[in-house]
Amino acid sequence: MLRNLKKSLPHVVLLSYLLVILFPFLFVLFSSVKKDNNEIALNPFGIPKEFVFNNYVEAWVNAKISTYFFNSLYISIFASVVTILLGAMFAFAVTRMRQGKWNGILFSLVLIGMLIPNNALMLPIYTIVRKLGILNTHWALIIPYIANAIPFTIIILAAFMRSLPREIEEAAVMDGLKAQGIFARIIVPLTIPAMVTVFIVNFLGNWNEFLLANYFLSNDELRTLPVGMVQFRDQYQMNYAQMSAGIVYSVVPVIIIYAILQEKIIEGVTAGGVKG
Amino acid sequence: MNKALKNPLVFTLFVLPALFLFLMFFVYPIFSSIYYSLTSWNGVSDTVKYTGLTNFKKALGDERFWISAKNNGWFIIFSCFVQVPLIVLFSLLIANVKKLKGLYKTAVFMPAIMSTAVIGILWGFIYEPNIGLINKIIGLFGVDPIYWLSDERFAMLSILITNAWQWTGFYIVMVLAAILSIPGELDEAAKIDGATGVQRALRITLPLIMPIISIVIMLSIAGAMKAADIVIVMTKGGPAGSTEVMATYMIKYAITNFKYGYGNAIAVLIFMFTLVVTAFYQLVIARRNERIEY
Repeated sequence: MLRNLKKSLPHVVLLSYLLVILFPFLFVLFSSVKKDNNEIALNPFGIPKEFVFNNYVEAWVNAKISTYFFNSLYISIFASVVTILLGAMFAFAVTRMRQGKWNGILFSLVLIGMLIPNNALMLPIYTIVRKLGILNTHWALIIPYIANAIPFTIIILAAFMRSLPREIEEAAVMDGLKAQGIFARIIVPLTIPAMVTVFIVNFLGNWNEFLLANYFLSNDELRTLPVGMVQFRDQYQMNYAQMSAGIVYSVVPVIIIYAILQEKIIEGVTAGGVKG
Repeated sequence: MNKALKNPLVFTLFVLPALFLFLMFFVYPIFSSIYYSLTSWNGVSDTVKYTGLTNFKKALGDERFWISAKNNGWFIIFSCFVQVPLIVLFSLLIANVKKLKGLYKTAVFMPAIMSTAVIGILWGFIYEPNIGLINKIIGLFGVDPIYWLSDERFAMLSILITNAWQWTGFYIVMVLAAILSIPGELDEAAKIDGATGVQRALRITLPLIMPIISIVIMLSIAGAMKAADIVIVMTKGGPAGSTEVMATYMIKYAITNFKYGYGNAIAVLIFMFTLVVTAFYQLVIARRNERIEY
């Protein structure tokens, strides 16, 4: 009896924590199929008597979810891919090419970038973006997103490339490959696993980014999902059932990706934890 | 033989694009911030007037700035004294259960991959005074509705709880990984010597994971100094500026009110505060931990 209690106590504690994490999601999910605020107020915890899917239709139209969703998707993917390309080139040069002390100097310089609290740089970046004349275009997010993820990308890719044996490229040089060839045909294919991890971390970072997206774009058609959701909330604050449907739309894609790739994501994000 | 890898031209071409972006978006902004913090520039006009340390004097003399600095402090205090003990407790529990380990790990981590903005909206609903989850729960016990986000006494606490809800699981997974990488023999040996589970957790595991806890604290401090989006989404700094943090204070002046020079002075202060807090932690607390370990 006592033994059983001792064994189940940790589970009781952990399951309560799990409830605290998961119940808010269930609350929103249930609310999203309730008719209106009144029904949420009368029956806050349970499943509604009749399911109202109209909220999803209304939210899709009113919140322009599809527009925001595709804006977010293409900005996040594009910026992450470019970061990886530029980061991989840099990492390759400083880990595999031989330029004496320059390798170390350049790498350490980028390392310092990890220590900079990037929100504090928002104002100068705003000025740069304005001077480039790209304020209120998607480039205003894409270019800073690419730049922002570069230090983390380089550190992870450089660590991975350093672990590849030297003999690989010696053989390639014998076969007459130049540095570009070694990079494109040998190092990049071998680095794919690390690139996938870095891609996931950068993608999630860009997908969730709020501050720049909120202040650098003012045209509604250009907005990304987090900013669009906040604006939708501000407009339809009184209709919580519809707002819940909006939240479900923005959360479900992330949960699906997480369900498929959770091991990769956990590994990558915690490695990126140094990034904060 | 390795001539191909010693080509300076190719090296430069490979390094340049990333280096250029790095210099433009990390290095230049720091100097630009310092420069404009000494001016009264409005961010648009052609003339930039040098005003010396006026902006800094004004900021340090502004009560609102200190309220926002204090709120950053609350973020740090809350993570060190509420979150960290919970993180350690939950990761020890998860490490020691046999069943459902994967489920716990996957589920607690989930909020960390979501957008802070969406989580802010979600929790705004949970805190809603009339139909929100929390008031409905405390209503079961006969407690009157609390205006969580519009009452000065509760607004900051509500934000801190939401922030903890999002990030605790993330750190649990980090600490859990450290616990699981401790060689099993240590625990076995203690078990044979008759140490109970609690004793083993406190005397064997805890000292060994001190370095990772130190990292968790450092990351929490860095996160606390950067906090902004959660405040903007949940309260916009209100009620009456009581939940403003340094970053939102900076944005309010620089972007909304065109006091660009003043905003940059705040950015420089955020830098300096971060440096001071991290240095203080490293020198005074982290060092001592290191010594306990050996």
